[in-house]
Amino acid sequence: MSRVLYAEWTKLRTEPAALWLVPCFVVVTVLMSLFAVASASCGQGGCGIDPAVLSLAGVQLGQALVVLPAVLTIGGEHSTGLLRTTLTATPRRIVVLAAKAVLTGGLALVAGTAAVLGCVAVGRAVLPGNGIAALSLTDGPMLRATAGSVLYLVLIGLLALGVAAVIRDAAASAGAVLALLYAVPLIAAVINDPELQRTLRRFAPMTAGLAVQATTDLQRQPIGPWAGLAVLAAWSAAALLCGGLAFRLRDP
Amino acid sequence: MEPTIEVTGLRKRYGRTVALDGMSCTVRPGHVTGFVGPNGAGKSTTMRVVLGLAAPDAGTALVGGVPYRTLRRPLTHVGALLDAGALQPSRSARNHLLWLARSQGFAARRVDEVLEQTGLGGAGRRRAGGFSLGMRQRLGIAAALLGDPPVLMLDEPFNGLDPEGIVWMRGLLGTLAAQGRAVLVSSHLMSELQHIAAHVVIIGRGRVLADTTVSELLAAAPSLEEAYFALTRDAVDFRGEAAR
Amino acid sequence: MSDFGRLVRAEWTKFRTVRGWVLGTVAAALVTVLLGLFVASNSISSCSNGTVDIECPALPLGPDGQPVRDKFFFVHRTLAGDGAITVRVTSMQGVITYPPPDHDKIVPGLVEWSKAGVIAKVGTAEGSRYVALMVTAEHGVRMQHDFVHDTAGRPGAVSAGTPRWLRLTRAGDRVTGEESADGAAWTEVGTATLAGPVELGLFVTSPSDLTVNNGAGGGSVQARLATATATFDNVTATGTPPGDDWRRDDVGAELNPDGTLHHPGGVEQAGGVLTVSGNGDIAPLAGESGPGVQLVLIGLVVGLIVVIVVAAVNGSGELRRGLIGVTLLASPRRGRVVAAKAVVLGAVAFVTGTAAAALVIPLAWAVLTDNGFRQPGLPLPTLVRVAVGTGLLVAGTALLALGLGLLLRRGLAAVGLAVAVVVLPYLMAVIGGLPPAAAEWLLRLTPAAAFAIQQVVPEYAHVLAGYTPASGYYPLPAWAGLAVLAGYAALALGLATARLRRSDV
Repeated sequence: MSRVLYAEWTKLRTEPAALWLVPCFVVVTVLMSLFAVASASCGQGGCGIDPAVLSLAGVQLGQALVVLPAVLTIGGEHSTGLLRTTLTATPRRIVVLAAKAVLTGGLALVAGTAAVLGCVAVGRAVLPGNGIAALSLTDGPMLRATAGSVLYLVLIGLLALGVAAVIRDAAASAGAVLALLYAVPLIAAVINDPELQRTLRRFAPMTAGLAVQATTDLQRQPIGPWAGLAVLAAWSAAALLCGGLAFRLRDP
Repeated sequence: MEPTIEVTGLRKRYGRTVALDGMSCTVRPGHVTGFVGPNGAGKSTTMRVVLGLAAPDAGTALVGGVPYRTLRRPLTHVGALLDAGALQPSRSARNHLLWLARSQGFAARRVDEVLEQTGLGGAGRRRAGGFSLGMRQRLGIAAALLGDPPVLMLDEPFNGLDPEGIVWMRGLLGTLAAQGRAVLVSSHLMSELQHIAAHVVIIGRGRVLADTTVSELLAAAPSLEEAYFALTRDAVDFRGEAAR
Repeated sequence: MSDFGRLVRAEWTKFRTVRGWVLGTVAAALVTVLLGLFVASNSISSCSNGTVDIECPALPLGPDGQPVRDKFFFVHRTLAGDGAITVRVTSMQGVITYPPPDHDKIVPGLVEWSKAGVIAKVGTAEGSRYVALMVTAEHGVRMQHDFVHDTAGRPGAVSAGTPRWLRLTRAGDRVTGEESADGAAWTEVGTATLAGPVELGLFVTSPSDLTVNNGAGGGSVQARLATATATFDNVTATGTPPGDDWRRDDVGAELNPDGTLHHPGGVEQAGGVLTVSGNGDIAPLAGESGPGVQLVLIGLVVGLIVVIVVAAVNGSGELRRGLIGVTLLASPRRGRVVAAKAVVLGAVAFVTGTAAAALVIPLAWAVLTDNGFRQPGLPLPTLVRVAVGTGLLVAGTALLALGLGLLLRRGLAAVGLAVAVVVLPYLMAVIGGLPPAAAEWLLRLTPAAAFAIQQVVPEYAHVLAGYTPASGYYPLPAWAGLAVLAGYAALALGLATARLRRSDV
């Protein structure tokens, strides 16, 4: 396993496109958060802003840049036929997929931590100037929102990897994952059947997973913070399982 | 307009690598011209420059006396096979030829003719992505023949062909040349070229080493292969230790 | 056929012979329609009469068929032919009522667009035609007619020291509004036409006091009941039947379950002085006006992602596989190859988008009507405009994705970038919980500006509402939004052409 992991890491670090996406992701995420917190303002009497959700708004956009390298690790090898070489070197396909998952998750963990901490710093620097009290990382709920956002990004990466193992074409996989992530919350936002709305938000990967960012009005969230992250984890696990099966059974 | 390929003083470098270093030669109609040289000698680059796919740093390349890029319906002037793998895998062979035909204003009937001519009549409806290398070569030849052109440029046409395919290709090239077309064939298979080519252009390191008839070369050496090795001895970039 | 015509035909053959691309295009249209229907069938309108659920009342419609709010206190007489009404307004005050439980208090204050003045209206039914001349709390004298038309007169607020004289005169069908500071020197504010018998009189109304919070969650809008009270004197009416009494009507007032009026207005008379109070508004319905085009076209977001994948892969695949070499052998002029690809993909995407929108809007609207919504359907010209606009949005997005695919030569990068600049800004602006100010900047600067084609109700400067992207109001007009998208698409295609021209393939 460690040899396979090392080989995968060597492939990744010698592929400039995937590595470029990491700093891009951090910058885009932090900038989006800056944009959100800088444009927020509150009338007198407060306006129900959750400072954690607002500070971490960049994650909603940044996750797209976690999806791309994740689907590339499989889709890229398919399109060039490199996967055949990989599987000749390591015939145990599940080990290859596991190594890719460890690498994708690890990369998302490192980059996600940097990006999320950047978002928190931006929130703390800008929000008080707009009359909104920012939370510190020493507050329990804020720590949960921060650590949860990093885990969220890791799980999104794994979800994308699993989907890519099933669909194989990188561009189509990215389209499918992004549609899954963004379409459900969109639909939930516009229908006005509160029961169905709540159900959709509870089971959609993005809305359930991002519930971990909430620090105020927890009872108004469709799902509890950790339970929401568990829903996303179930999505990722299911995607990896299907991906693993497809990866094993189909000819590369 | 005489169907010829004229290349004069072509120079091209990619970064620090010199690909073409004053390449000049002329391909005349009525016979097959072999185009040989070691890997990296500049065969494919020359063909790409002639076809307007790559721009030279200096020099001119003319087909039938004019630059390729000025041709209005180029496939009626030149047919080329460069990279047999340049296909959309999910498109069928017939449809691949069909869009090429549409771009020149040919009827769909012409597509079926070249499919028959290249022995792909039964495979036309299959997706080209599932083709073997030999079938892709046949499809590439079909695309080159689509416009019934007086000039043909084929890069490694024997690649991947089965024994039957090699015999077919040999016959096809002879027939095309006998019809008065200019046929330029690049290949590494000296014994094959010895049989079908009347003229040969040997290049190395981006310039012409010999531009002569096969019979002249065979007068000085026992075979085309021997003549080739003698000429390219100093012009080879990559050679394994065991080779000569 | 011309050279370019042959090239377009070849590119069309290329497109239609890859099954995945054709299926993808059909799927994009299908998903747009199906999601629209799904969302419509899961949107239910319910109204209650206190405790009992009732069928929602029909919305009052203005003369052009658009939903309007038409609630004010009206003191009036009937005018059959020519005539005039002249008043002097000497004061305007108001109270704002904070709703229970958190802010259950009543504070003095006027909403900026509270109105008091004279009006000629065809009957007292909500939505009927009218011409009115009024003073407002913060926008000076205005002449307005038929809900959407607004003309400014003399600025400044009214008080005992600075009264305003207002006069509406009808001669034939022509109604002229004039104002004066002293009752001697009159200035014309505007004219309008209004035929037939009308009710002529005084009115007072005040829209709710709104606070649009620029916070997360797409911003929130708080509305508080506001009532305005104005003092009129020197009231003279000519042309009305002699001996006709001033009648009083609370136009548009709702009834409480016990039969009393909900938030009534009123009038007190002392000699020649009338003190009239009212609440409501005479204006087109704006802001939270219920489900609209944005709702039934929601599936377009997913459809666009599919179109982006098809278009981007169309561009990048050609270059990745070296197929471009074959294409350039057949047509060596590279700019034309890009142009032919753009023509084919743009046309396919335009037809897809137009067809999907033209199909889903009426269908989903019928479902919404079945579910109890009372919004009138889009008039045919508006439907055509939105459908064509949607087609242009989809076409522009496809061209942007094609340009990125040709430029970046990697399908994934092109898909990622196109989704990031077209779809994500829209999502974040409309549902992402961005503050409205941030959302508006996104919808100005990014290609997502083209989603402005979904806005069918204009933003009225004279109507207070929460004009936020989340409620369907875009910062740019539709044509400008499309121009932004077209600019980005042209940039991508231009860069792709430049790169293709310069490079060896």
